[in-house]
Amino acid sequence: MSILQVQDLSMYYSTMKGDVKAVDGVNLDIKKGEAVGLVGESGCGKTTFALSILRLLPYNGRFVKGKIIFDNKNLLDIEDSVFNKEFRWNRLSYVFQGAMNAMNPVFKVGDQIAEAILIHEDVEKDEAMERVKGLFRLVGIDPNRVNNYPHEFSGGMKQRAMIAMALACNPDFIIADEPTTALDVIVQAQTLQVINDLRNELGLTMMLITHDLSVVAQTCTSCAIMYAGKIVEYADIDTVFSEPRHPYTKALIGAFPSIKESKRELVSISGTPPNLLDPPPGCRFNPRCPYAMEVCSKEEPVFRQLVGRHYAACHLLSGGEA
Amino acid sequence: MEGGSVELKVVDLKKWYPVRKGIINTLLSKKQQYVKAVDGVSFEISKGEIFALAGESGCGKTTTGKTILRLLEPTGGHIYFQDQDITDLDKREMKDLRKSMQIVYQDPYESLNPRMTIYDIIAEPIHVHHLADTTAEVNELIYKSLTDVELVPPEEFVGRFPHELSGGQRQRVAIARTMVMNPRFIVADEPISMLDVSIRAGILRVMLKSGEDKGVTYLFITHDLAYARHICDRGAIMYLGKIVEMASMDRLVNNPLHPYTVALMAAVPVPDPKIEKAKAIIGGEVPTPIDPPPGCRFHPRCSKATERCKLEEPKLVEVEPGHYVACHVD
Repeated sequence: MSILQVQDLSMYYSTMKGDVKAVDGVNLDIKKGEAVGLVGESGCGKTTFALSILRLLPYNGRFVKGKIIFDNKNLLDIEDSVFNKEFRWNRLSYVFQGAMNAMNPVFKVGDQIAEAILIHEDVEKDEAMERVKGLFRLVGIDPNRVNNYPHEFSGGMKQRAMIAMALACNPDFIIADEPTTALDVIVQAQTLQVINDLRNELGLTMMLITHDLSVVAQTCTSCAIMYAGKIVEYADIDTVFSEPRHPYTKALIGAFPSIKESKRELVSISGTPPNLLDPPPGCRFNPRCPYAMEVCSKEEPVFRQLVGRHYAACHLLSGGEA
Repeated sequence: MEGGSVELKVVDLKKWYPVRKGIINTLLSKKQQYVKAVDGVSFEISKGEIFALAGESGCGKTTTGKTILRLLEPTGGHIYFQDQDITDLDKREMKDLRKSMQIVYQDPYESLNPRMTIYDIIAEPIHVHHLADTTAEVNELIYKSLTDVELVPPEEFVGRFPHELSGGQRQRVAIARTMVMNPRFIVADEPISMLDVSIRAGILRVMLKSGEDKGVTYLFITHDLAYARHICDRGAIMYLGKIVEMASMDRLVNNPLHPYTVALMAAVPVPDPKIEKAKAIIGGEVPTPIDPPPGCRFHPRCSKATERCKLEEPKLVEVEPGHYVACHVD
C-alpha cells in the first residue's frame, strides 16, 4: 500500500539570475513500512525535494507543478493552517541535517522536544516532559538528561535527540536528512542501529537522504538515485546494487570504495554536475555520460518502468540494452 | 615499497596544549592541565610510500601531521626527514625545507585566498622559494602544474578567482600549488572529505600520480577507512593521541588485533546490501583528551579490559613482521 506518492513534482527557486530547477518532474512511490534511500551529490535537489514534502521551503522556493499524495490526499491542496495542525509532525516529520546546529543552544533539550508536543497536541507540560523521557529511553539517552542544554550533549547524543524530536508526535512517515554525515564511524553505526531498531519496532516509513551509498545499502529497503533535479533510477535495494541500469547509478557505485573489496583503482565520473539554473537539454547526465548518443542531448528520457518496481530514465533502456 | 629507505621518521612525538585556567584556579595554584592531542607517537614512512593516519575526530591525526611539518611546534620528541633531525631547525633552515615538505588541506574553500587569482596563488610559492628567474619560466611552471592536475587548458583558469571554480577544481588548484614546488613529502589532510563522491577518485589520482612518477612520500590523514584501504600501503590507527595499531592496510582491514581497530573496522558501512550490516560493537564516544584515562586510554570502552589495562599503559609492540599493536590483551 502506498503511503506517499509524488507525481511529476517540480519545485524551483527564484533567484536574480533566473529559476533554479532544483526539483524537476520527480516521480516516487513509497509503500508503507519501507525505508527509501534518496541518494545524490550535493546540489542535486534531494533536500529541496524532502523539504517540499513538509512545505518547509525557504521564501524563494516555488511550487511549479505536480502532486504529493499522502494518505490519499494531495498535500499541496491543503491549507497551511490545516497542514500544520494535522500533518506536519503528527503524520510527517523530519530529522534535520546537521544535528550539531539544529537545536537552539539557549533552551534545554527536553524543553525543545516538549515544545513540539505542546504545539501539536492538547497536553499538559508535565505529561509532555514524561513523554520526552520516554522518547529519550527509546533512542538510548539517559532520561535524566532532559534538563541538559545542547552543548552538554555529544555529537551522537544530539543526533539521537533530533531523532527523538522527530518521533515526538508519533508520525507515520519520517524524513531523515543526512542523519549521520557529521558523525564518526562508530557513532554513525550506533545511530544507524537506533534508526533500524525504531523502524522495526514502530513500523515507521522512512526516507533517508544521503550522499553515502554504503549507509543506504545498510539501512534501506529501496533506493532512488537523484541527479540534477531528477530521479534517474528507482528500485529495491538489492536490484540497485546488483543490476543498476542507469549509467549514473553504475558510475556512482563504481566510484564508491568498499572496505571489504581488495585494493583497486577507484574511478571517478568526469566533469561536474550541471548548474540547475540552466541544465543541459535532453538527458541532464549526457555531458558526463560515457554512453551518450545523439538523442541524449536532444530528448529528455522518460522515467519508465523496466521490470516490477525497477524504474529508470535513460534512452539506452528504451530500445537496446545498456 | 617495504624495505625502501626511510624518508620520514617520528620518534615519541608529543603536542600538548595547556588548558587556560581561570583566575581562581590560578590563585589556588591548581595543577596546569593539558590537552594531550598527540602523546608519544612514533612511526616511520619509507620513500615513495603512502601511509594512512586514521582515527575519529579529535584523535590527534591532524595535529600529528601539522607538527611533523613544524606548522605546530612539538612539545616533545623528534622528527627526522631524510635522516636529518628537523625538530630544532630555526625558521630560516625550515624555510629551505618547506619546499620539500608540503601539505594539502582539507577545505579548498578556506585554503585558497579569495582575492588572489589562480595565477597568483600558484606563483606565490614560486617567488617565495625562488624557483624561477624569468616571467617566462614562472608561467611555464604554472601552466605545467595546472596541466598536471588536469585543469586544462590552463589559460582558461589562470585569470580566474577561487569563487569561480567548483570545489573539486579548487582542490586541484591547491594540489597544483603544492606540486609546483616539487615536494618530496606531502601531508594530505583529509583532501577529499569535503568533495562529492563522484569526483573524489579524480582528485586522488592527480595528487598521487606525481608520487608514483617521482617517488614522493605521503602521509594521508583520513577518517575514511574505505578510501585509505584503496590508496594506502600501510597505516596507523590513532586513539586519543596515541597509535594503537600499525600495519599494512591489508592486515589492518583483514586482521585487526586491537579491540579499537576491530570496532572501527566493524562499524564501516559497506556499499553492498547483501553484506552483513555494520555494527557498533562498542558504545559511547571518544572522551576528552584533557586528563585521558590512566593505563590504556581505550579501557573504559573496551569489553576485554582487565585490571592491568587500568593501571599500565600498553606499549606498541611488533606482534608479527610489520604489525604493531598496543594492547595488553592476548
